[in-house]
Amino acid sequence: MSSKQLRLVVVTPETTLLDEPVDALRFPLFDGQIGVLPSRAPVVGRLGFGELKISVGSSTRSYFVDGGFVQVKGDVVSLLTQRAIPASQINVSDAEAELRSASERHPTSEADFVAKARDQERARNLIATAKSV
Amino acid sequence: MAKARAVLKRLKAVKNIRKITRTMELIATARFKKAMDRATEAAAYTRKIAELASDLSASASGFSHPLLEPHESLKTGVLLVLTSNRGLCGGYNASVLKLLQQRLRDASSKGQHLSLEVSGKRGLNFCRFSRIDLDQQYTQFEDKPGFDEVNEIASRYIDLYVQRKIDFVDVVYVRFESASRQRAILETLLPLSTAAGDSGKAAKASSPIEYEFLPSAREILEELLPAAFKARLFKCFLDAAVSEQIFRRVAMKSATENAGEMIGDLSRIYNRARQSQITSELSEIIGGAEALA
Repeated sequence: MSSKQLRLVVVTPETTLLDEPVDALRFPLFDGQIGVLPSRAPVVGRLGFGELKISVGSSTRSYFVDGGFVQVKGDVVSLLTQRAIPASQINVSDAEAELRSASERHPTSEADFVAKARDQERARNLIATAKSV
Repeated sequence: MAKARAVLKRLKAVKNIRKITRTMELIATARFKKAMDRATEAAAYTRKIAELASDLSASASGFSHPLLEPHESLKTGVLLVLTSNRGLCGGYNASVLKLLQQRLRDASSKGQHLSLEVSGKRGLNFCRFSRIDLDQQYTQFEDKPGFDEVNEIASRYIDLYVQRKIDFVDVVYVRFESASRQRAILETLLPLSTAAGDSGKAAKASSPIEYEFLPSAREILEELLPAAFKARLFKCFLDAAVSEQIFRRVAMKSATENAGEMIGDLSRIYNRARQSQITSELSEIIGGAEALA
């Protein structure tokens, strides 16, 4: 393993949630998971909804990130997200209720269909993140 | 006797007032520090968004987005006014409301239709008093505005703007420029002037980095613009909260000083009244004793 580390910065509109050195990262992009190791090429991407997995040494932690953007520049990975919840603090029953209400919707327009699919995916990933701990 | 007692009563009242205003000053100072911390923490997000936006717009030239396009006619719009829920903060609300009146006069002369949204009880009371019709009222924003609440409002504006139901979004609030300088201003948030905002220009000067874009720069920018707008609106709320505490601190500080001066004056008057009472009583006693002798 290389001795180099990444610096992970997670910012939400309200606060800078995390700013710490990490060994590796995994988080959802708009179309699937991406893993980031030290010395990655610069990238700017759109985040999806799902689990952010942080590995430091042999321990891992996970958060749920709620959309947003990522910027990898040098050894700094900045995640801009509306919300990041530690996986242990996710309220599963709330998420399940959200999923149910999203699934019961009857979309009529193209935009509603997209919104429904997005909300369903978000709720499913929220539950999955909570259960992965 | 009556005069000295009346003065004493006032003196006690003023001393109590001084205690209250001193306490309010201290509270405002503490709240200001907290609000300031929140604002600086939130600034990181805004800065990052601006940086991304300028990086992206460099590689997506000729990009256009509904939020960036000004509408041909500026007939209908939203005017959001941020005032405080509580009073005793000097000229804070007055300065905002003065701008509001100006804007309303301006709008009626241009024939614009403004749907007015006011946050804060002070502003609501003012509108009720001057019979100005409101479309929305908010009182939930105290000194700690939450992003989720602002997010709701911002998403509604974005929808309305994209559906061309409104042509602009103006915000009247007290902008925090520095600890010693806050000004009430009218800011047009929509259409967005640039994707990056003012702070983006500084970031652009740095040497460009070849980014890999996932998906394309265009698609990221499409998502980024609403986020940038939300961050800017949130910043307005945070600025207003910080400024309110500063105004209150300054107002309470001068109130405390004034009360102190008044206490000095009143105790002088009280002492003089008491002394003249004693003198007159003494001369009465002496006069009485002389008459008996």
